[in-house]
Amino acid sequence: MGASSLASILAACSNSTTASVSSGTGKNSGVPLGPSGQPLARPDRRVTLPLWEDPITSGMQPETGGEFTVFNYPDYIYPKVLKDFGKKYNVSVKVTPFDDINSGITRLASGAVQPDVTEMTPDNLDRVVAAKLIKPLNLDYIPNLKANVWPSLVDPFYDGGSHYSAPYTVYATGIAWRTDRVTEDIEGMSDPWDIFWESQAYKGKVALLSEPRETIAMALLRKGHKDINTEDPALIDQAVSDLKELYGICNIKVGDLQYQTVPEDKAWLNQAWSGDMLAASFYYLPKPSVGKLLRFWNPGRGNGPIQNDMWSICSTTKKPVLAHLFINYMLDNGVGYSNFINFNGYQPPLNEVNPDELISKGLIPENLRNSVLSEADLGPDSLQEMTLTTKGQQLWQNGYSQFLTGA
Amino acid sequence: MYPRWLWPAFALPGVVWLVLLFLVPFYAVIGVAFGSVDPILLQAQPAWNPLDWNIGWFSQVLGELTPGGAYWTVFIRTVEYVVVSIVGCFLIGYPVAYYIARHATRTKTLLLILLILPFWISYLMRMLAWVNLLAPDGYVNRFLIWTHVLSTPYGFLDGKSSTVIWALIYGYIPYFILPLYAALDRIDRHYLEAARDLGASPFRAFVHVTLPLSKAGVLGGMVLIALPMFGDYYTPNIVSGAPTTSMIGNQIDLYFHGGPQPTIGAAITILLSAFLVVLMGYYMWTIYRASKELRGA
Repeated sequence: MGASSLASILAACSNSTTASVSSGTGKNSGVPLGPSGQPLARPDRRVTLPLWEDPITSGMQPETGGEFTVFNYPDYIYPKVLKDFGKKYNVSVKVTPFDDINSGITRLASGAVQPDVTEMTPDNLDRVVAAKLIKPLNLDYIPNLKANVWPSLVDPFYDGGSHYSAPYTVYATGIAWRTDRVTEDIEGMSDPWDIFWESQAYKGKVALLSEPRETIAMALLRKGHKDINTEDPALIDQAVSDLKELYGICNIKVGDLQYQTVPEDKAWLNQAWSGDMLAASFYYLPKPSVGKLLRFWNPGRGNGPIQNDMWSICSTTKKPVLAHLFINYMLDNGVGYSNFINFNGYQPPLNEVNPDELISKGLIPENLRNSVLSEADLGPDSLQEMTLTTKGQQLWQNGYSQFLTGA
Repeated sequence: MYPRWLWPAFALPGVVWLVLLFLVPFYAVIGVAFGSVDPILLQAQPAWNPLDWNIGWFSQVLGELTPGGAYWTVFIRTVEYVVVSIVGCFLIGYPVAYYIARHATRTKTLLLILLILPFWISYLMRMLAWVNLLAPDGYVNRFLIWTHVLSTPYGFLDGKSSTVIWALIYGYIPYFILPLYAALDRIDRHYLEAARDLGASPFRAFVHVTLPLSKAGVLGGMVLIALPMFGDYYTPNIVSGAPTTSMIGNQIDLYFHGGPQPTIGAAITILLSAFLVVLMGYYMWTIYRASKELRGA
């Protein structure tokens, strides 16, 4: 059996997880449905998730004492920020890390962890709500959402009314490289994604993100397919076939440590998130002079993926008021700014974060200006990797599996 | 004098251990491979009752593991890496074990401690240490440039099969040497003396006496390292990262790590186990035959 057809065949093999499609004659008729029975959210298709319980009532005092647990990626939040929050509300704040959001959700669902707040992503929101793993928010406790956050994320398309989430960071997917190693004018290329297919000179030093969605989406974009949520098997097969060309061109590698490997000269050309080179610049420079060599190409609105991470309150919380206050605290201008500049490198979507100001203050080097996003990067025509039907997820995973075989 | 159940009861902890930590988890993997997936959380829903098994995923993966199938190349690559690594472990490990067992006297304890020393540090840490050593500006490249062997850094970490194989050898060789040392140390020296008295040269005595008598130790060491090597995914991830050097364990990791198809990961795991059972069967048969010959002698 040919490898190229595996994705579609295996996707068809499932007998237990079928995609639902809405019926009727409304504006959402024929639209695929997510686990909660809602249409799958897209930047041009707004979804409001139903409340599975009432939010907590307003005006309550925060719980104090004991532990407050944040469920998050490792090293994705500034420890000082957490310490200050704990001091303010007289709790001991600890972080329980997860490897990736899928394994995090698995642990939440199994009850293996019982955190108070969790990091979440828009493409998983529908299913964690359907499984009642997160609680509805009472926005009265989170005034910073309206006051400080980019308006488009105050009431985002994937969570109308911010019923379950508040944004944490935003990031675009682009290309990172070192100017002392890569000589091409990547930003001046007619299609910068082509650089990976023209990287014979950098064999062994070229890498892609180890993420099925990001990798295949890049190959789709290179061929001009802007629907990065497609579930067309022919398009996925073609994208995988294109990715396989990279074996011979540059012995392509995959990984998610580009914020280390690029500054350390282990990778010269790397698919990357916009926060990576900033984090590299803040924390991982082997010597300061390397900072000036780092570059990031941001495809810009409508040309490359842009995503945001979020905070949600876990159903397991014993401190629901404090959990709301934590989210509000993270959306405070000073806290968000400190978390971004002093540690994280991933930008909070706060109105006060201004690229020009950050550069003029010397907080972000001019050569990484492209790593800072603005609200204009979002919008109905932005490309966001959103929830797929189960069959769609199988298709993408099997496609990535084929790429990973190296055959 | 003692109740009849007393001595068999000593096996109870081992049996409980085996049932709880091997048989039950293994049956769970089988249940996952033949089960379904929760449509909301995309988590495995094992089918515990064989009457409820869905063989769709399993037969599909089985087909993909045959020549021309999607996983065939990565499977063959895994076999190649493991075989070459085992040969490497044998070539490096046998002389070491032989020296410690037969020739080290006062240094024997020290050498054994040095052999065990790597176990004190986690496998992952040892591999990460090699990443720093083999990096473009790592000590290995610096030394090779300093000694004029190289003029520019060599790309050890640029997705090379040789690096993955050396890393496998480095990571697993202590597990090969220790059982081999034990086997060599147990060989009765009188056999060797008899061979020499009968006119055999040291080399012939080694080939005709030591080597056959250490066969069980060699095979034991090989089995001990082959089993974890076949499921390894982090070694190629850490020292290479290139899909062209990935192993079948990387596929299992991909499907188990998240996403809607843990069933595929479980099916590959079972088929890999079945393959390893065949190898284990050969080992058991060889040991059985060797012990039968010994009894006959």
